[in-house]
Amino acid sequence: MITPTSAAGTETLTPDVATTTSTDLDKPWKVLVWDDPINLMSYVEYVFQKLFGYSKMKANKLMMQVHMQGKAVVSSGSKEKVEFDVFRLHEHGLTATMEQDE
Amino acid sequence: MSRFSREGEIVRVVLSSSEQELLGLTLAELRDMLIADQDEVLWRLKPQAHLSCKETADAFRELTSDDLLRSRLNSIELVLSTLSGAELDEADTAAWMQSLNSLRLVLGERLTSEGIDLTQEKLPKSSKVTLYCWIGWILDELISAANELLD
Repeated sequence: MITPTSAAGTETLTPDVATTTSTDLDKPWKVLVWDDPINLMSYVEYVFQKLFGYSKMKANKLMMQVHMQGKAVVSSGSKEKVEFDVFRLHEHGLTATMEQDE
Repeated sequence: MSRFSREGEIVRVVLSSSEQELLGLTLAELRDMLIADQDEVLWRLKPQAHLSCKETADAFRELTSDDLLRSRLNSIELVLSTLSGAELDEADTAAWMQSLNSLRLVLGERLTSEGIDLTQEKLPKSSKVTLYCWIGWILDELISAANELLD
C-alpha cells in the first residue's frame, strides 16, 4: 500500500469550501482518499458516484487522481460532515482520512 | 454471461452451485474473523481516520468501530441469505459489493503480508491468488451491473 508520506501533493476538486475563517474551529475540514494496490479502479469510481452523487466524469477524474498522485480530496465541509464521509468510505473499504485546512 | 444482470431497478444474481458454496464458505470465514477480531490483516478494514492527530483518530475509532463492524456483518448475512439467487435492490446490491470488497481486501492484505506484490500483472499461482482474482472478477461484474442503475 502506498504510504501517505510518500504520496505526491494534490488539489481540491470540490469548490464548496467556506474560505473565511476567524478561528481554528471555523476552518473547514477535508476528506482525502489514498491509493492502495487492492481496491479496483472501477470500484473506487463507483463509490465516489454513489456516496457523493458525483457524475461519472468527476468520479473518474478523482479516482485517476488517487491512482496517479497517491491521494485526492474527495469532499469537504464541517467536522461532522467529513466524519460521516470518512465513516462511509471506510464502510466501503477505501482508505480515507480527514484533516483540517491549514 | 455475467453472474449479475440489471432488470429494471433490480440486479439479478445467478451463481453456479459451486460458486455459491465457495463464496458462502469464504464469507462465513470472514464473518468469524471479524467477530473474533484477532487477525492482524483486519487493520485494512479499519483505517486510521486522522494521520497527524492520534487523539482525533482514536476518538473516531471509538465512535465508529461498532457501527463499522455491524455494517459489515449485516452485509455478509444479506449475501449469505441471497447466494442461491435473488433480485437485489439498491441496498442489497451495496451489501453485496461491500462484502465482496471486504473479502478481497482481507485476502489481498494476507497475500501482501506473504510478500506478494499485487501490482504485478502476472501473479504467482496459488489457491489464495486464484480466489483473490476470482472475487475481483465477480466484483467487477457486479459493478458493471450496478453502474447501469446509477446511469
